[in-house]
Amino acid sequence: MKCVIGGAHLRVFRRAIHAIARISDEFWFDPIEKGLALRSVNSSRSAYACVFFSSMFFQHYCWTAVSQPCQKEKQLSLPCKLIIKSVLPVFRCVNVLERNVEKCSIYTNINDHHITFQLLCKHGVVKTYNLVFQDCDPLQAVFAKHLCPNILKVHSRLLAEIMIHFPTSQEEVTLSVTPMKVCFKSYTEEDTDFSKTMLTEIQLNPEEFDYFQVGVDSEVTFCLKELRGLLAFSEATSVPVSIHFDVSGKPIAFSIEDMVLEASFILATLSDVEKERASQQAPESSKTRTGKSDKTSVDRENSGAVASKKPQWNSNAANTASAKPASPLAKQEIKDIPRAAKREVTGTEGTAMTEAEERAALGEAAGAQYQKFHSLFFGAVSCQKDAPSHSFHSLATASDTEEDFGNAQSSPVL
Amino acid sequence: MRFRAKIVDLACLNHFSRVINTIAKLAKTCTLRLTVSKLYFILSDKVANGGVSMWCELCQGNFFDEFQMEGVAAEHNEIYLELVPENLSRALKTAQSAKAVKIKLTNKHCPCLRVAVELPSLSSSSRIVTHDIPVGIIPRRLWNDFREPSVPDFDVSIYLPVLKTMKSIVERMKNLSNSIVIEANLSGEMNLKIETDLVSVTTHFKDLGNPAWASEDGCQSSAQDRDLESMAEARIDIKKLQQLLAGQQVNPTKAMCNIVSKRIVHFILLHEDVSLQYFIPALA
Repeated sequence: MKCVIGGAHLRVFRRAIHAIARISDEFWFDPIEKGLALRSVNSSRSAYACVFFSSMFFQHYCWTAVSQPCQKEKQLSLPCKLIIKSVLPVFRCVNVLERNVEKCSIYTNINDHHITFQLLCKHGVVKTYNLVFQDCDPLQAVFAKHLCPNILKVHSRLLAEIMIHFPTSQEEVTLSVTPMKVCFKSYTEEDTDFSKTMLTEIQLNPEEFDYFQVGVDSEVTFCLKELRGLLAFSEATSVPVSIHFDVSGKPIAFSIEDMVLEASFILATLSDVEKERASQQAPESSKTRTGKSDKTSVDRENSGAVASKKPQWNSNAANTASAKPASPLAKQEIKDIPRAAKREVTGTEGTAMTEAEERAALGEAAGAQYQKFHSLFFGAVSCQKDAPSHSFHSLATASDTEEDFGNAQSSPVL
Repeated sequence: MRFRAKIVDLACLNHFSRVINTIAKLAKTCTLRLTVSKLYFILSDKVANGGVSMWCELCQGNFFDEFQMEGVAAEHNEIYLELVPENLSRALKTAQSAKAVKIKLTNKHCPCLRVAVELPSLSSSSRIVTHDIPVGIIPRRLWNDFREPSVPDFDVSIYLPVLKTMKSIVERMKNLSNSIVIEANLSGEMNLKIETDLVSVTTHFKDLGNPAWASEDGCQSSAQDRDLESMAEARIDIKKLQQLLAGQQVNPTKAMCNIVSKRIVHFILLHEDVSLQYFIPALA
């Protein structure tokens, strides 16, 4: 793959990288025929970001299908994983970038496992950055936006003006909507120490939104820190932001779309049902949620039936979905998997398998009592109400090992 | 106990925000005393503060369009609250273009100052941003801790040089030393001195002028008899001085300091409708 980004679009590209950097330390660099996708998911699988630049965004975009020698089938995409910290310095100096850099060209060298970023600057200066990438499995989350009953469209300026009222240290924010009003407020839980916390609340009239549809009154709580990246990015593009969401527990998606790019940030939201149950059963479960480490991505099956040994999130979800068709939101999660469970998304199947088995074991032992942010992937899966047995759209597909690739049980890579 | 106030005028709001910003830079926690006519921000000289104390007085009529207060009891018609001024500063920060700001004392989960900012919006109804700032109610038996400090029996009183100049000098000196000596005499001369093993730096100011204090029963006689050239000096923590100078967002109408030799330096900064007194004790 080789592409060239012109000077004007560099700013947008840079903002995209910075936005994704808020989610995780690494991101997927995924060139496909139609364009380049940058994806990222946080370690607890509670936030997913994807920015897709169509080939028209680039001055020049050239991509060829590559077949991996080790794959049975031809894999059409070549996803690779990069450490964000390595990429950020390439795009760091804003002033330098905008004034001196004429274009940036990116090309991949599969054999060497290198991606090269080359900044062509004024006066003949060329800066070349060679970064190593890791092979990895594709990552994609699927979220049925069109099934969401609540849709708000708002200019990015307005969203930034709202969020500015919250202190930068504010982690979580609750969005509460009725057909008559919209309210963003600092998130509080039962054991919040009100005498020490300053609470902020912003009330808006639905008229302020470019598009306002509230199908169901809801109150969703999501992580503001992860969203701020998208806010900065959308200001660079000045495209309106669409917010799709449902009731608490189901993911919320913030997305922007214009002719040459699409970006989505999908965040898990806090579920109310389990919040009450959890605070009754396990006092320590309502500890402060300090960022991602609390949001474990692990969904546990109560009855313990972990069907498949395959290291796939989707197979776990199948079990949970079948056990609880009535309350798709009621996913259980283990909270206290040792804090080392800020697990990185590893592409290698070996590690993933170990993790899945480990999680399965823990799940059966501990049962479902603790409530945290639900892994957004599983929440959204259930909203499609697929029958449990056959393959379904998992939000995030860790692709399989080579031997499982063709297996029907696995969910399709979308 | 009740308190409600409202600011509608944008200039008053900005002025009030600036005062709060200054206070926030000087104290992490302070006491807000509300009376019918005035607001006071008070920091009493506890060891935890490093011995500094602050007294800031505002006339409510100069800022608020509406101001209603009912104290703890009829004969003690005042309210004393403990709060973090940084919270108030943050609440007002984004109110630059507000149509109105209302402040109210409430008690939902705990005593709070509720700041409600009404912002203009594109639609017919305004955007309302509400901040609940937790406060502590200070009981009457502790009110004595927060009395107005009296002007000390100073040796020299002198007007300060232009604060911006003084601030940049002190900031540079801060890199070299932890303490600074302020000395001044009744001839309008002031020196700021630091001295370390490696270097000593002195900045001299002259023609500053000395304020004339109205003598009360000759209590200033000690100052009047004083040799005009003789310097009164005090060594103080340079960080405290730097905080005071850095917090000033607007040039005061009058800025002066009273030095009690080797004991304390008393700074007085007067604006049209706000007066700020700041006491920095001398280091041992």
